[in-house]
Amino acid sequence: MIEFKNVSFFYGEKERENGIENINLNIQKGEVILLCGESGCGKTTLTRLINGLIPNYYEGVLTGDVIIDGTKVSTLALHEAAKLAGSVFQNPRSQFFNVDTTSELVFGCENMGLKEEEISNRLDRIVNDFHLQLLMKRNIFHLSGGEKQKIACASVAMAHPEVFVLDEPSSNLDMCATQDLKYMIAYWKDQGKTIVVAEHRLYYLADLADRIVYMREGKIEKIFTQAELKSIDNAVLAKLGLRTLNLSSVQKDSKINNNKTQEIILKDFYFSYRHALILQIDLLDFPKGGIIALIGHNGAGKSTFARCLCGLEKKCKGKMCVCNQEYKNKDRIKQCYMVMQDVNHQLFTESVLDEILLSMQEQDALKAEEILHRLDLAHLKDVHPMALSGGQKQRVAIASAVASQREIIIFDEPTSGLDLQHMHEVARCIRMLNEMGKTILIISHDLEFILQSCTHVVCINQGSVIDNYSLDEKGIRQLKKFFTDIDI
Amino acid sequence: MQNEMLAATHESYFKIDPRTKLILMFFVNMFAFRGGNIFIMLTIAAIPVILLFAERKIKGAIICAAVYLAAALINEWIVPATHGAANVLVVMISGMFYRLMPGFIMGYYLVVTTTVSEFIAAMERIHISQKILIPLSVMFRFFPTVVQETRSIGDAMRMRGIAAGGSKFWKRPMSMIEYRIVPLMMSTVKIGEELSAASLTRGLGGPQRRTNICKIGFSVHDIVLLSIVMAVLLAYFLFEKGGVSL
Repeated sequence: MIEFKNVSFFYGEKERENGIENINLNIQKGEVILLCGESGCGKTTLTRLINGLIPNYYEGVLTGDVIIDGTKVSTLALHEAAKLAGSVFQNPRSQFFNVDTTSELVFGCENMGLKEEEISNRLDRIVNDFHLQLLMKRNIFHLSGGEKQKIACASVAMAHPEVFVLDEPSSNLDMCATQDLKYMIAYWKDQGKTIVVAEHRLYYLADLADRIVYMREGKIEKIFTQAELKSIDNAVLAKLGLRTLNLSSVQKDSKINNNKTQEIILKDFYFSYRHALILQIDLLDFPKGGIIALIGHNGAGKSTFARCLCGLEKKCKGKMCVCNQEYKNKDRIKQCYMVMQDVNHQLFTESVLDEILLSMQEQDALKAEEILHRLDLAHLKDVHPMALSGGQKQRVAIASAVASQREIIIFDEPTSGLDLQHMHEVARCIRMLNEMGKTILIISHDLEFILQSCTHVVCINQGSVIDNYSLDEKGIRQLKKFFTDIDI
Repeated sequence: MQNEMLAATHESYFKIDPRTKLILMFFVNMFAFRGGNIFIMLTIAAIPVILLFAERKIKGAIICAAVYLAAALINEWIVPATHGAANVLVVMISGMFYRLMPGFIMGYYLVVTTTVSEFIAAMERIHISQKILIPLSVMFRFFPTVVQETRSIGDAMRMRGIAAGGSKFWKRPMSMIEYRIVPLMMSTVKIGEELSAASLTRGLGGPQRRTNICKIGFSVHDIVLLSIVMAVLLAYFLFEKGGVSL
């Protein structure tokens, strides 16, 4: 169905990064292929060669042929290639052309010029098959990440392509939404479609993928069958830089020290939006100096809670008490710092050093350099923050949190879309902050990461705290149960 | 409100064709801007307000009606009674509302009751070229994006104490403006790039004629509204231009 013949591609003459070299791969009709490997190994490039974005949209040097169903993709215009292969992308924010869901679903078919009757037949069918009744005629900007991705998948399916290409589709999803994604892929597989998924999270695809292509530095290093992959244990996977295949097998790697005695107490955190109460926490306490994971489904109120805690929501009248001292909104905004999911929003200056200086009460270049040094950024101090890689940007944001001497640092999904190595890096950073005595709250859907770095778990559901436990043996069991009991 | 830009999400209670909305928009703006006696102005402002009521945007309709009524009354009674600087101020403020507001209410009605694809369908019916239409529809998609991005950049600035009024703001107010604009441009450029890649893989820009499943078309509602417009226009030309008097 899809054939790669000696394909090499580089984004620039000299640029080797993200390029691929000498790829030979033959994908049968009806196969599910999982592309994995570290960030920058070329998996995304491979998906772009299939959907025609390379060479039509992303320019570079291409040699070799990619053939789908007997047609060379590179000779097709994008709207022709679009009929062969449907694409789902990583970022749910930027793959919608329309503002309302219904128009988005029919968009591809409209572009193909299909008859109205045919389009509405397909629409009825998709809505039924994917259970989208509640999502129809909604404003896409008001949907959760999971719902957006569901709409994205459904709109691609509307066009009835023979090939589906998904580029890290689960990056921004919680476990429920990931499960939904799995069902959709399974559904396409049943229909005999050919599916190529580039992904860091492997566990949800372990039972679906027929072959697993492991890539490294632009080359195919090894191809596993499903059975072969499943026989590999976690330690070997980790060596390959791959995430786990089986969530319940993840181990907690270090003991937590529970000698912290002081507590941070939150009182009366209420917040409503458009007359709906979306946050109602009467009382919540967690250890000062701990690393607390905030878990819960997409749209459970975790982000709202984090915003209220940071003092960003003026309407929230909650109070935070530490050592008998009370902090209201205005005081909390000086105590808390949030490292946002999209760190691009919080880098303002022209160099990394300026970024740190801007955060300091009293500008002190020596101290700033020391902070940069600790976060392994010293060699980048004169670089423009926007020229950094995602992980480096995140560290700059962390460094400015340290520079501003905040006591509470909140991370909003710091590991979404990260490979194993980068996840370890974030975990290291967080442990370092913790050793400096900071209290850390982490919103996360990443079990591996939570087990690796957190000491405490707070679970939020429908705006209320439903669980609050420390990660001892019993806690670990409880946490795993939360992440694996989603098939109900 | 900005998030509702061309994102009507339920069946209209009182469906009218987007083309009618555009004609009304033109008509209301033209007459309100031109001005006239208070009864004509109130009648003109009543059109979009009634439409809002019909669409069950009760709260918005009441607020608009109240503000407009106030502006009209001020214009009628308080303007003649004041002199000097006070007069200038009152004329400026009330005059602005008095003349511009009907157009704004109509515009608000247009954007909250029309979806992007309805709008495109209407534009296609009056043979507007794709070259104008596609950028226009992307623009509508972009408004809410920019609003969202601006919000989170604003949050980040407040957290750093560099937002307007924050502790560090007054030291270097100019660079604070830069801080707001630069990340916004960076992220919108990125979103724009990803967005066009995504829409190209969905077949946008192909040579074949697009279908549009939106059912637009003139109904009794449109005929009634357009007849009213015609009647007013006729009356206008007869009484004001033609010199016919009652």
